[in-house]
Amino acid sequence: MRWRPDFIIPFLALILCLGGQSLTHAEGKFNLKPGAKGKNCLNCHDGFEEILKNPFVHSPVKSWDCVGCHNPHAASHDKFLDADPKDICVRCHTKVFPDNPVSTHKVAADGNCVNCHDPHAAKFKFNLLKGGSELCSECHKALGERIAAVQFKHAPVEKGCVNCHDPHASAAAGKLLKDNVPGLCIKCHDTEKINFQKKHMNYPMAGTRCTACHNPHGSNQRGLLYDKVHNPFANRKCNQCHEGPSSPTPLKLKAGGFELCRGCHSNMINETLAQNRLHWPLLDRNGCLNCHNPHASDQKGLLAGPIMDVCGKCHVDTINKLKTVKSKHPPVEEGTCMACHLAHSSNQGLLLNKPSVIDICGECHDWQKHSTHVIGDEAKDPRNPNLTVTCQSCHRAHGTDADKMLLSPTQTEMCTKCHKEFKR
Amino acid sequence: MLMALAPAASFAEQAILFQPVVSIYADAEGQGLLNPEGVACSDNTLIIADTGNNRLLQYMVKVDTVEFASQIKVSQLTNPIRVQVNSQGEIFALDGKNRRIVRLKKDGQFAGNLDLKGVPPDTGATIVPRSFKIDQEDNIFVLDIFSGRVIVLNPQGDYLRQIPFPKEFGFFSDLAVDRGGSVYLIDSANSMVYSAAKEATDFLPLSKSLKEYMNFPTCITTDNRGVLYVTDQNGGSIILLGLDGSFRGRKAGFGWNEGLLNYPAALCINSAGHAFVADRDNNRVQVFR
Repeated sequence: MRWRPDFIIPFLALILCLGGQSLTHAEGKFNLKPGAKGKNCLNCHDGFEEILKNPFVHSPVKSWDCVGCHNPHAASHDKFLDADPKDICVRCHTKVFPDNPVSTHKVAADGNCVNCHDPHAAKFKFNLLKGGSELCSECHKALGERIAAVQFKHAPVEKGCVNCHDPHASAAAGKLLKDNVPGLCIKCHDTEKINFQKKHMNYPMAGTRCTACHNPHGSNQRGLLYDKVHNPFANRKCNQCHEGPSSPTPLKLKAGGFELCRGCHSNMINETLAQNRLHWPLLDRNGCLNCHNPHASDQKGLLAGPIMDVCGKCHVDTINKLKTVKSKHPPVEEGTCMACHLAHSSNQGLLLNKPSVIDICGECHDWQKHSTHVIGDEAKDPRNPNLTVTCQSCHRAHGTDADKMLLSPTQTEMCTKCHKEFKR
Repeated sequence: MLMALAPAASFAEQAILFQPVVSIYADAEGQGLLNPEGVACSDNTLIIADTGNNRLLQYMVKVDTVEFASQIKVSQLTNPIRVQVNSQGEIFALDGKNRRIVRLKKDGQFAGNLDLKGVPPDTGATIVPRSFKIDQEDNIFVLDIFSGRVIVLNPQGDYLRQIPFPKEFGFFSDLAVDRGGSVYLIDSANSMVYSAAKEATDFLPLSKSLKEYMNFPTCITTDNRGVLYVTDQNGGSIILLGLDGSFRGRKAGFGWNEGLLNYPAALCINSAGHAFVADRDNNRVQVFR
């Protein structure tokens, strides 16, 4: 068959016409009727108009592109979302996370964007649920309360956390900081200024870590020093430990390890060294500084951090195990390692604070004084002639996966380790 | 007191079974061991640092028995935590309380403190020996944690050289020296092994973190077959590593019965393949083979 020219032209015109109509009417992937975008949704979602009156409206909402995120017919995800809630935002917001972040905000990394942002509209910029630091304080409650309560405030903190922190991730530094310390600090605090140098006793501070002494979130001490300040530091006697500011090596310590601290804390160090068992890191190159901050700290005893962090620096496996075991020991869970151990030295193994494990447990568990399995020096452990039965014969002080911190999965299994005659 | 050992022939050809053979609980008078933290051995001698009783115990190791020989208790050694014996039978013990290495004659008589002669001061004059080992030529390797270095001394205690600790590490608890003269360090906090070849001037990581296999290693030693043995204190086990740091196996496990360990503190292996483990919190020394 041959095409007749007088038929082809009207046929092509019809195709173009239909095609054009189709292009006009098919809005987006759902072939919505013209004008049906978004506004169609409001026919049912009538409360939504109020939301849209907020000053900050998410751009897809503003352009009535509800189907940008939702599937109007059916979806595998809650709220008819077109993709997993954890993935849907980053389909457009691809630059939220840097390529190689040094630190990430867990809530953002987990894709829980709606914990901070309203996906439709909000009163605050970036569709944030609350303004300024108020939003951050929802989770970082203790820090928020502390910031509000401290006597001496740090101006950038007053203006908002995002002055120093990136709320999603940082490619530059840990703790979501926009730059490393001191790089971040010296953007405002000029180390070359006379006043700055005078405050720091003319020691060269440019390369030092400001947060070793100063609490960037505010403090009850002048100069934003951490609340607990080491006496020589408070009295500006830097040269008690360091060489003088005019020395070629001004920050060099006058002695190494524990020998430096011994100058003032000789009694404590002599008592420590008089015990049979030492906590050896105390005697290494860093000495006392392994656990203590020599300048200032927000922890009791000038500890370099919360005790679980300090102990966890070396005993990380023990600390990690504590987090996962089913049956936890409250003092351990609360981080009071010193309820049972001594930090510096002891005459007991494992640096325990009493010669008898039974006495240590008895500090809290007084039940053993009136009703208990036979324990103590007279109770020989049938498994080993050189051991007596103690609390540790059946329980593990740091917790286990069995009930009551037992060492065996069941009580029967535990008891029959010694009482073999009852083993079935 | 006589304790039977398994036949000791052809160790080099055997797989490392690490089967319990016998346990030492007491001296000849029946006084029990208390928290032993150190062991040293040769083909015919076993020395135990019976730390909780502030004494050393000497045993004769024969082909198939371990026999109590003597107790060594000298006033100059108050808290023995590490012990070594050289090829002449001289005994060296680290006093953990006084942080000095005590030298004893073969019969246990006090022969003086090891005077580290000619050691260059680093962080000051203080030297804190956390551990030490003696190689087959009787050179003494001291783990000085205060200045962060291994000091190498000749048998008379004269300074030969030093190897600084690496820049990044957690905490070194022990060192080992193999037959080829390589020195190994065990990092308890990071569960890593570092090594320095004979005459090397620095330590390099031998392994990545071995936390997958151990959770607080405190002692390292070698045998004559090129195997590193690491005591996993908190895991109650002995970890076997190749000289390249590769994992070769895990032996024993936490417990009280013989064959199990409760905070093992030290390990020594003689050329016959007997492994003597200071099973600290079980108050005994176990012999494996």
